[in-house]
Amino acid sequence: MFPANESLAMTFPTLLADLNESFWFPIQGSSFAEEVDWVYDLILYISLAFFIPMMAFMAWCLVKYIKARGTKAESQTSHNTPLELTWSIGPSVLLVWMFVQGSISFLDMRTPPEGSYDVGVQAFKWGWTMDYGNGVFHPELHIVKDEPTKLSMRSTDVIHSLFIPAFRAKKDIVPGRYNYMWFKPTVASEKISDEELAKLKKQSEGATWDYDMHQVTPEGYTFFDLYCTEYCGKNHSEMQTVVVVHETQAELDAWIKANSARGSDVSQEAWGELLYNRRGCAGCHSIDGTKLVGPSFKDLYGSEHPLASGDNVLVDENYVRESIIAPKAKVVAGYQPVMPSYKGQLSDDDIDSIIAFLKSISENAPSEPAAEAESEEESAE
Amino acid sequence: MSNATLPAGARDPGYPTERENYLTNSSGILSWLFTLDHKRIGLMYLVGVMSAFAIGGLLALAIRLHLLDPEGWMFSGAEANNIYNQVFTLHGAIMVFLFIIPSIPAALGNFLVPVMLGAKDVGFPRLNLSSFYLWLFGAFFFVTALFSSGLDTGWTFYTPYSTTTDTSVILATLGAFILGFSSIFTGLNFIVTINTMRPPGMTWFKMPLFLWATYATSIIQVLATPVLGITLLLLIAERTMHIGIFDPEFNGDPVTYQHFFWFYSHPAVYIMILPAFGIISELISVHSHKHIFGYRFIAYSSIAIALLGFLVWGHHMFTAGMSSLTTIVFSALTFTVSVPSAIKVFNWLATMYKGSISLTTPMCYAISFVFLFTIGGLTGLFLGTLATDLHLHDTYFVVAHFHYVMVGGTLIAFLGGVFHWWPKMVGKLYNETHGRIAALLVFLGFNGTFLPQFVLGSRGMPRRYATYDPEFATLHQLSTFGALLLGVGLLYAFIVLMVSLVKGRRAPANPWGGVTLEWQCTSPPPYYNFERPPVVGDPYDFHNLEWDAENERYVTTEPERKLAPESTPEEVPAHAGGQK
Ligand code: HEM
Ligand SMILES: [Cu+2]
Repeated sequence: MFPANESLAMTFPTLLADLNESFWFPIQGSSFAEEVDWVYDLILYISLAFFIPMMAFMAWCLVKYIKARGTKAESQTSHNTPLELTWSIGPSVLLVWMFVQGSISFLDMRTPPEGSYDVGVQAFKWGWTMDYGNGVFHPELHIVKDEPTKLSMRSTDVIHSLFIPAFRAKKDIVPGRYNYMWFKPTVASEKISDEELAKLKKQSEGATWDYDMHQVTPEGYTFFDLYCTEYCGKNHSEMQTVVVVHETQAELDAWIKANSARGSDVSQEAWGELLYNRRGCAGCHSIDGTKLVGPSFKDLYGSEHPLASGDNVLVDENYVRESIIAPKAKVVAGYQPVMPSYKGQLSDDDIDSIIAFLKSISENAPSEPAAEAESEEESAE
Repeated sequence: MSNATLPAGARDPGYPTERENYLTNSSGILSWLFTLDHKRIGLMYLVGVMSAFAIGGLLALAIRLHLLDPEGWMFSGAEANNIYNQVFTLHGAIMVFLFIIPSIPAALGNFLVPVMLGAKDVGFPRLNLSSFYLWLFGAFFFVTALFSSGLDTGWTFYTPYSTTTDTSVILATLGAFILGFSSIFTGLNFIVTINTMRPPGMTWFKMPLFLWATYATSIIQVLATPVLGITLLLLIAERTMHIGIFDPEFNGDPVTYQHFFWFYSHPAVYIMILPAFGIISELISVHSHKHIFGYRFIAYSSIAIALLGFLVWGHHMFTAGMSSLTTIVFSALTFTVSVPSAIKVFNWLATMYKGSISLTTPMCYAISFVFLFTIGGLTGLFLGTLATDLHLHDTYFVVAHFHYVMVGGTLIAFLGGVFHWWPKMVGKLYNETHGRIAALLVFLGFNGTFLPQFVLGSRGMPRRYATYDPEFATLHQLSTFGALLLGVGLLYAFIVLMVSLVKGRRAPANPWGGVTLEWQCTSPPPYYNFERPPVVGDPYDFHNLEWDAENERYVTTEPERKLAPESTPEEVPAHAGGQK
């Protein structure tokens, strides 16, 4: 009856499958994790030290003092000041301890060390763009083990919140200001073998990469989950990405280099499709004709579009480029002006690749190859 | 146990005649719609809040069924996430604004405050009726607005999402605004009633703890609710005129909204829980037949919670980017509220010690309350502590925590209160065995629903997610099965009450052995509550009660110990319960 029923049978085994995890927590992936878990356990044990005796006492009273109706109570004691002072002041001391311990750890988590590795984060409905500098943008967060990392975060629309459970780290991202957070990852991602990766790639041929199903990134790294955890509208629950922790700085540099631009062996269509999936377009624009938050890309290129202003527009290179850089300039009738601007985040080649990809999925696209040369000229103006 | 021969001087008001009883002394629909009798208004509120709860509860089940599967089970298609978002918004908004805030103060409070005080009615009966109609109008407006516009902001209306979403935030906030007035009127009325209408002998420290709790709640209602009203008006102004308070696009700051909002809504949490404390104090003492332990500590701690509750709103915003100092100060203040709450629990346990406990249905709820509220309170410590809150904020841990407080606390206390005062309100006894079974199902179902959510949250499951990662599926499914059981329990409890109306035995004046004044009048009470001025004594002194096994009721044995003064002074208003 319930599609995911089989997992119920494996209840507790699955919970503890990974030896690094405990019943309560995901794996400890950052230097904060141990500290936070320690404070958590402290509170948990103090709480149990109160809760269990209190409930035992109540149960004992129930056993001992349930009387037939009409029986008078054994005692009518109405107060006992020393007792009441004891149970007011005693717990207060423990509360002060919790507060102090929690605040000390909190201050550690607030102050990034000098010279941290800085990654820019842009949050938008509903996706993430990490800025590695020098024009490299990618939705996954890639960082280096044992290297303090600082995130400088901004939002283009509503409030979001960046949460990495394995790092025990969370911070809201408020539009109109920068918010910062930092952490030091302590566990590196692993890379699966090329054969295994090839096998997975084959399985998901044609579909977008399913991180949850494969449990590795399209490049074969295991990862930590990164969630948006401030409610931000329709696809809030899809606003997820992953964190990959590299063993060394050199490895990260190599990854950044590989992602900085389209390699010479990659076609524009393929690169455009990759960007479509990677840069959050897929969240709002389908390629199968379904109407999502934005118009579908299927058969879009070359068609005529009614605008909210009442005019019509031909979807050509210029219009696509403008929609990417200044999305609010020409809003299609029937849609909200909610798309974020990608100004400065996509190179000319990236935009051309996206155009090439749109052409490849449109019946309306003119087939003359001359169009491409034209677009180069016009966008150079 | 034969106690057939009662000592001489046993007093009991007996059963009311048809004409004396507030339910039947006048009839026809208009006699209800235009009634100024606080008891009838309380009963109408009771029907109202229970209907709101039923709608909110069905929506909760829809939420839980959707989460049976990581990809979403209940709603499907391209709009599934949108529907889910609207459903949890509706659920939260209805439960908070229409059910839990008015439940105890407006429904039970309206019925009980004057009777427990020994007054004939509340201070402003017309204001009382108008507050009910405001509630009704507000509720109707709110529910239609919510359903027709498909509000999807969550009950907190956080900006800038709420100023930019295309659903009708304005209609919904207007609804909440109107409901706020109803709440203010009720609070004002109780403050005036308790300050001015106490009969001779009813000093502050002779007041039952339920009245102390209601008084503290009323203070919050009157002081905090206007802030919500202003915030909602600002929100509307922001949406329509872009005045730039909250929206960064017009140089506003979204976090300002959160400060405004929680400055009301945190105290509002105490509007929800303080009256529950009051009920539990009555329930535990009466059903243990023992003087409440630490009366003054409990009374003062209600007031302390009401006042401290105004200082801790920032603990909802630890991750929003306030300065470190502000954050730490808010954390420290948060801990100060936990002390008075803990004191109450200790006092309730001490009250049971050496008592004579009857395991009646209300007592079953009181016991579950102590269990569940203690968990709710203790898990609050994880959220008040900064290091752990950064991890747990906006996860299911929070969802579990506030449901333990609001459902495990307030709803359970409300149910306990309804079962406790049901014979008084309607004059019928319900079936105890079935009442207890229902209470047990509610307890088990509740824990089944929300215990797994603590684990979900600390393992990192964010809240307000329509779909989720497969590793969380098992715990979500456990939670859904718990919710189904809880639903069955609540339905069962409702049926027990309804059946009693038809088949229940006639209730005596004092079926449980309570000493507070409402047990001195007949069940149901007469129109003016008391036939003769009630005798005010210590509300928890059980010495003079005797069990009359023959008639299954408690009677007062001793003749009046303290007579009302021979000549009532002129200043005492006639409506203060005595006939001059
Ligand atoms: C039948 C029992 C109930 C069940 C199974 C239930 C379940 C839920 C669930 C699953 C959520 C969504 C959490 C999320 O996605 O963040 C939720 C939210 C909420 N519930 Fe309940 N609930 C129940 C009763 C109540 C009651 C009685 C109240 C209030 C008195 C209440 C107040 C709330 C509030 C305020 C929210 C937050 C809404 C929001 O996030 O905007 N619930 N509930
Ligand atoms: Cu988000």
